[in-house]
Amino acid sequence: MVTEPAYFLPRAQLGRLFEALRADGRRVVGPTLADRAVIYDELEGPAELPTGWETDTAPGTYRLRETGSDRSFDYVLPVTSWKRYTHPAVVPLARARRDGAKVDIEAIVAEPPSLAFVGVRACEIAALTIQERAMRAGPLGDADHAARRDAALIVAMECAAATSTCFCTSMGTGPEVEGGADLIASELDAGFVLRSGSPAGSDLLATLDLRLAEPVEVQGAAAQVAAVRARIGNPVAAEGLPQRLRAALDSPRWEEIAERCLACANCTLVCPTCFCTSVAVASDLDGLDSTTERHWDSCFSLGFGRVAGDANFRPKVKDRYRQWLTHKFSTWFDQFGSTGCVGCGRCVAWCPVGIDVREELGAIAPITAPAGPIPWPPAPAEGHAPAALSVVAPARHVTAVVERLTPETTDTVTLHVATSDEALLAARPGQFVMVELPAFATPAISISRIRQDGLDLTIRSAGAATAAIGALAPGAEVALRGPLGRGWPVESAIGRDVVIVAGGVGLAPLRPVIEAVMAERARFGAVRLYLGARTPGDRLFVAEMNALAGRADLEVAEIVDRAGPEWLGRVGIVTHLFDQARWSGDRVSAFVCGPERMMQATAAALADRGVDPAATWVTLERNMACGVGTCGHCQLGPFFVCRDGPVFSIAELGTAFGREGL
Amino acid sequence: MEPQELITVARRGARADVPKRPRIGVVKFASCDGCQLTLLDLEDELLAVAERVDLIEFAEATSRRSMGPFDVLFVEGSISTEEQVEEIARLRAVSHRLITIGACATAGGIQAIRNWFDLDEVRDTVYPEPTFVESLAQARPVSDFVAVDGELRGCPISPAQLREFLVALVTGRRAQLPDEAVCLECKRQGVVCVAVAGGIPCLGPVTRTGCGAICPAYGRGCYGCFGPRESANTASLASWFSDSRSAPEVSRLFSGFTAWSAPFRTTIDAHGGPPGQLVEPTEPEDA
Ligand SMILES: Cc1cc2nc3c(=O)[nH]c(=O)nc-3n(C[C@H](O)[C@H](O)[C@H](O)COP(=O)(O)OP(=O)(O)OC[C@H]3O[C@@H](n4cnc5c(N)ncnc54)[C@H](O)[C@@H]3O)c2cc1C
Ligand code: SF4
Ligand code: SF4
Ligand code: SF4
Ligand code: FES
Repeated sequence: MVTEPAYFLPRAQLGRLFEALRADGRRVVGPTLADRAVIYDELEGPAELPTGWETDTAPGTYRLRETGSDRSFDYVLPVTSWKRYTHPAVVPLARARRDGAKVDIEAIVAEPPSLAFVGVRACEIAALTIQERAMRAGPLGDADHAARRDAALIVAMECAAATSTCFCTSMGTGPEVEGGADLIASELDAGFVLRSGSPAGSDLLATLDLRLAEPVEVQGAAAQVAAVRARIGNPVAAEGLPQRLRAALDSPRWEEIAERCLACANCTLVCPTCFCTSVAVASDLDGLDSTTERHWDSCFSLGFGRVAGDANFRPKVKDRYRQWLTHKFSTWFDQFGSTGCVGCGRCVAWCPVGIDVREELGAIAPITAPAGPIPWPPAPAEGHAPAALSVVAPARHVTAVVERLTPETTDTVTLHVATSDEALLAARPGQFVMVELPAFATPAISISRIRQDGLDLTIRSAGAATAAIGALAPGAEVALRGPLGRGWPVESAIGRDVVIVAGGVGLAPLRPVIEAVMAERARFGAVRLYLGARTPGDRLFVAEMNALAGRADLEVAEIVDRAGPEWLGRVGIVTHLFDQARWSGDRVSAFVCGPERMMQATAAALADRGVDPAATWVTLERNMACGVGTCGHCQLGPFFVCRDGPVFSIAELGTAFGREGL
Repeated sequence: MEPQELITVARRGARADVPKRPRIGVVKFASCDGCQLTLLDLEDELLAVAERVDLIEFAEATSRRSMGPFDVLFVEGSISTEEQVEEIARLRAVSHRLITIGACATAGGIQAIRNWFDLDEVRDTVYPEPTFVESLAQARPVSDFVAVDGELRGCPISPAQLREFLVALVTGRRAQLPDEAVCLECKRQGVVCVAVAGGIPCLGPVTRTGCGAICPAYGRGCYGCFGPRESANTASLASWFSDSRSAPEVSRLFSGFTAWSAPFRTTIDAHGGPPGQLVEPTEPEDA
């Protein structure tokens, strides 16, 4: 409860508040009428407020209604949310130049504007905090978002009206403002009751030099917001909802809703907490000078889950709707310890076909739903914090020289990159880097060897960017951002038997594991290496693997899917290599990488041999744009694959592993 | 096939695929030239582009004519005569990559509305001396006749997308031509949804982005110039429209420049075919 003294600002003096807010050069953003709606925009003064207007909303409709009253804040929520100002729709990221072999990448850092947000509702304060937590999660936060949020002054306005789409009461975010603002206001017919919520708010009140509010005014304000609470009621049974939704991943309702849902993304773009973005590159005609910008994107777009070869992790609309609803109301708790929905109802009103999340929640996860199996283990209190994050915040690029290239197969090369960057050299097996070449998209590439003076990156030409990187000449520079993600827990295998299973280019991220184990061979039990490839010509690191096969202290077996006449070895899938083996799985730590189907089959075969799912490690591929947990692309249920993985144990993933469309 | 998936020029092995100074042609069939002219809209950059490509055929700007072969051939216009059917087959055979440009080439264009009607009747109404008109029964998109490697949508195409396509071509990167809904562009720009706030029927949710959301920005509903986006759920949108509109009105909404594209066509058919006569435009509720 707010206990600060309450002051009274007569309506006629509202302009003084604007002046006070502007005194130190701040610009005021608040509600105004435009294009048949209330929106947030920069305001010159109180004359631009939507005085005398109310809003009616229902699923798929929004209408203004003129009341002729003197009141300015009787509208409910504008279509705009404050994220337009804290997490703008388009943010320039970097300028990259290539001059001969040289590459230069310069981050574009904009000074955050000094703004005052006027008319912020209780649910919107909650949304600002929730989105901020998502963008700043872990040590790898988003600097632009943080700076904008810190630079904003918040003048909250408690709700005096509600519409049929409001449900803040259920989500526990409103309608009463209980903090998170610099100034907290309530509008009465004659003027505004004001309280301070921060030192900056107290300073403002001191400048305004107002009389104290009369008890009747304070009571009037309280009664007004109490009436709003009563009007809204409790439309969503939020208690236990995250668990109920988690158990409803296979509900037939997802198919039904996909028949109505347009996958148009409006719900996510109007949602004040949705934070997902994609990156676009613009370049000159020679690809020598380029700029990158990130823009709002959504899990409803098909491209959001697309990876090389035009494979897609969420091809169907039902997958995308499920991602949206489960993220907002369930996996957000795993990730950030709170709800992802504040109950503002924007997604309900602004859905062009009137789909109502409240109705869908009631149908998909009814309060009476029996508790189903939980698909993944419950999150620890702090969320799925990565166990071993790299210590630096790798928001910056390091340019590194490609010293030489080793062709591995017809479509795969290894780049030997030189760097003296301490963070990169401290990379752990299984970590990856984002590799940037001006004008191209930025692919995630695993580190295939950690040397004392640099890194090896083994790259398969899967598309334009990987083709261009693989075609670089010795001496050329590339920009690296990393090391990123959580590596293989090689230490956890000390004193145990080690099984390494690689499919195709999946051997690349495993090679550092092999090297780490062989470097301290005596500390491990039996070591077995099973290698699969599409054809004999697709085998990686052939000389090295042959050398290992000649050693007595480990077992190496190879197999190919399709053989040529020159291949005398085995043919089939990689699990055939240990079908008949006599080792038992109970002392085994397994490290597996390859196409997801291959990893599923391998994990199942290992489980059959008694290998503990908690000691079976896989590394996942997802579409990745940021690599640090802020773009949202790589989500898999409660996980950000970039930050919480890409290495996971089968036990951690639960049935999220291999689940279609997640 | 997903049209965006067709944009293969800047994909896998792009550099090996398209030579350093690609030989390019621009040809047209039944259309208005608007799309070709977009090339000239590139103004300042046109010269720079011309230095990096070898424009061996472009009726609009040069008198040069070529029989190919083409590394990349841009095709404008729908196919509506027997001769054109033969010509497009010949061009396909001499083109490494064939890219259709504009609503006519990619979806049949506005002239495809006649596909629903009897050709003789249409001919008699439109032409004073109909005997000179040699025409197929239908005006159809190029992809109905030959394989197409990529598309630039729109009526006309967008200069920004054309530029992006050309830059991707000459730099060897993947062209960024999103297949998402127009809605995302409205929301990024802060354009208030005309459908939700104004009750104006809008095809934005089922239409591919690329125009810059011009119509909604001027308070009008989207007419679908860029044609259906990926996963275009026209059935659901039409059913929502149907709550307050008659079937002919709903079918008229989808009967624009890309009416003949599969998702729009099925929806038009499900609502009784295209309007035989013009239905008065639906005014916004609160206009
Ligand atoms: C953690 C991780 C480690 C990886 N390690 C390696 C490795 O060691 N060696 C290797 O050859 N490949 C690796 N990949 C796959 C590699 O990132 C893709 O092949 C690459 O992004 C393809 O980009 P492209 O521009 O060449 O392909 P295109 O098909 O031209 O473009 C694909 C588009 O999708 C976007 N995209 C985002 N994420 C992905 C993704 N994961 N796969 C494909 N496209 C994506 C790209 O930005 C690009 O715009 C890894 C992927 C991940 C997630
Ligand atoms: S729920 Fe509605 S707003 Fe969201 S994607 Fe589906 S149709 Fe669009
Ligand atoms: S999910 Fe819907 S109701 Fe919840 S915060 Fe987002 S837009 Fe508002
Ligand atoms: S993944 Fe989550 S945060 Fe991102 S757009 Fe979808 S619902 Fe919103
Ligand atoms: S959140 Fe951006 S790649 Fe994982």
